[in-house]
Amino acid sequence: MPAIIEFPHSMWISQHTIRFAFHEEISHTNFYAVQAFNRFLKKQLRHNLVESVASYHTVTAYIKQQINVDLLKRQWLEIQAATTNSERTNRLLKIPVCYDEEFALDRQRVMDYTGLSFEDMKMLHMSKSYYVYLIGFLPGFPYLGELDSKLFVPRLEKPRTSVSASSVGVGGGQTGIYPVDSPGGWNIIGKTPFELFDLNGKEPFLFELGDEVQFYEITKQQFWEMKSKGV
Amino acid sequence: MKPLLLITKQGVYGSLQDKGRYGYRAFGIPLSGPMDKVSFQAAQLILQNHHDQTSFEMFVGGFEFEALADGIYVLTGGQGVCLVNNAPIEMWKTFHLTKGDRLMVKSMNQGSIVYLTPLGGFYSKCELGSSSCLPLGHLGTVITKGSILYGQAASPLKFNRGLYAPYRPTFDSAITIRIFKGPHFHLFTEESQQQFLQNPFQFSGGNRMGYYLKGPVLQLQEMKEILSEATQFGSIQVPQNGNPIILMADAQTVGGYPIIATVHEDDLHKVAQMRMFNTIHFALEDM
Repeated sequence: MPAIIEFPHSMWISQHTIRFAFHEEISHTNFYAVQAFNRFLKKQLRHNLVESVASYHTVTAYIKQQINVDLLKRQWLEIQAATTNSERTNRLLKIPVCYDEEFALDRQRVMDYTGLSFEDMKMLHMSKSYYVYLIGFLPGFPYLGELDSKLFVPRLEKPRTSVSASSVGVGGGQTGIYPVDSPGGWNIIGKTPFELFDLNGKEPFLFELGDEVQFYEITKQQFWEMKSKGV
Repeated sequence: MKPLLLITKQGVYGSLQDKGRYGYRAFGIPLSGPMDKVSFQAAQLILQNHHDQTSFEMFVGGFEFEALADGIYVLTGGQGVCLVNNAPIEMWKTFHLTKGDRLMVKSMNQGSIVYLTPLGGFYSKCELGSSSCLPLGHLGTVITKGSILYGQAASPLKFNRGLYAPYRPTFDSAITIRIFKGPHFHLFTEESQQQFLQNPFQFSGGNRMGYYLKGPVLQLQEMKEILSEATQFGSIQVPQNGNPIILMADAQTVGGYPIIATVHEDDLHKVAQMRMFNTIHFALEDM
């Protein structure tokens, strides 16, 4: 982890939108820089910030009034110089997944592409921590990276017309979970009993940008038990 | 909350909209809100409503309503053919409906979107800070034929109010729209950059998520996948087929297509009111 993160390249997108970009790549260094810069912007811009959206390498700020980028840069560099490489610990979420055939709609396709047994595929999927790099495409849809390269499977050529909410999928270098029923082209390998988007809950969204995520396996019986308890 | 109108005929698409759902874009929730903010805001001003009241946004034509109670309304937006009990009424001016009256918003002479706003605004369940309807996210109330639109309590207007004709926005069939260079402008071939800025594009359809344009096919210098990043109402994306799409109010919050440009915020309402075969020219502005 570099001690000092360079000030990102800034660009005005429109009168009330400014985009800050780091190097264009998916990496943990970028992830760390983006999260740190997003926190910095929220703190510095405060009420002038309507909201911000972070991605793999950018932070886009929607603001009320134009800001002084030079001043922002000075503040960033001062803070960078003063901080001793203290990486903020992210929230860790452990997500149960039932990989049963009933839910793993693309089990065969994934096995064919990867040459792995389904058992090995599951193990690889659970073997590491992921980070929420991006949220979008659907309300609350987390793009979780980075997937073990042995599990890379291209998205379906013809997306399904309907994927049920809480389905867990892999697509390219990432894994993700469908928050709502929707059309979709990710390869479905399981399902979680958790709800990702629930307006009646205290927190409507399960995931937040920057969260650390680990998957663990549950049986079908456990799946239905957890589901009925409404966790 | 009291029942105001019954929808007896459904046109192309209608939805309840307030000023939009701010603060949830980081969670993938689109902004929503009015496509034509100018006409929407004018309606609230004419009625002396709070600026964040709810209007019924219609992609015309062919909407019909039956009044379930007496009420004061205003119609704003593109130039539509609007009738009460088959007699034409003027837009941009308050009008009164008596129980049993039939209101029709039939067709458009200019533009494509009309806002119907009652005194006090429509009532709609507020979810994540907004009453705007987003069908994909199951947010808000979907309105179709047979739906009832509810009103909210409001103090009566002392006079009829309206906007004088010279102050009403007009929506031409050929528009020039100010844009800013997008983050991926430089990735396009020089020829495509020039064509984008010099040639007209034709509106070939769309909805609250995006407007599709046809014109010279725009090409990247090299086939390159870009990383997904934030988009907004007004982002002009170019997918592989080379035909630009302007992202509109309900568009997803992030996208993976190159963004060639972004529409000037004050010109978005003109884009929103485009209709089939209208043409659009882009004029580059410096930030």
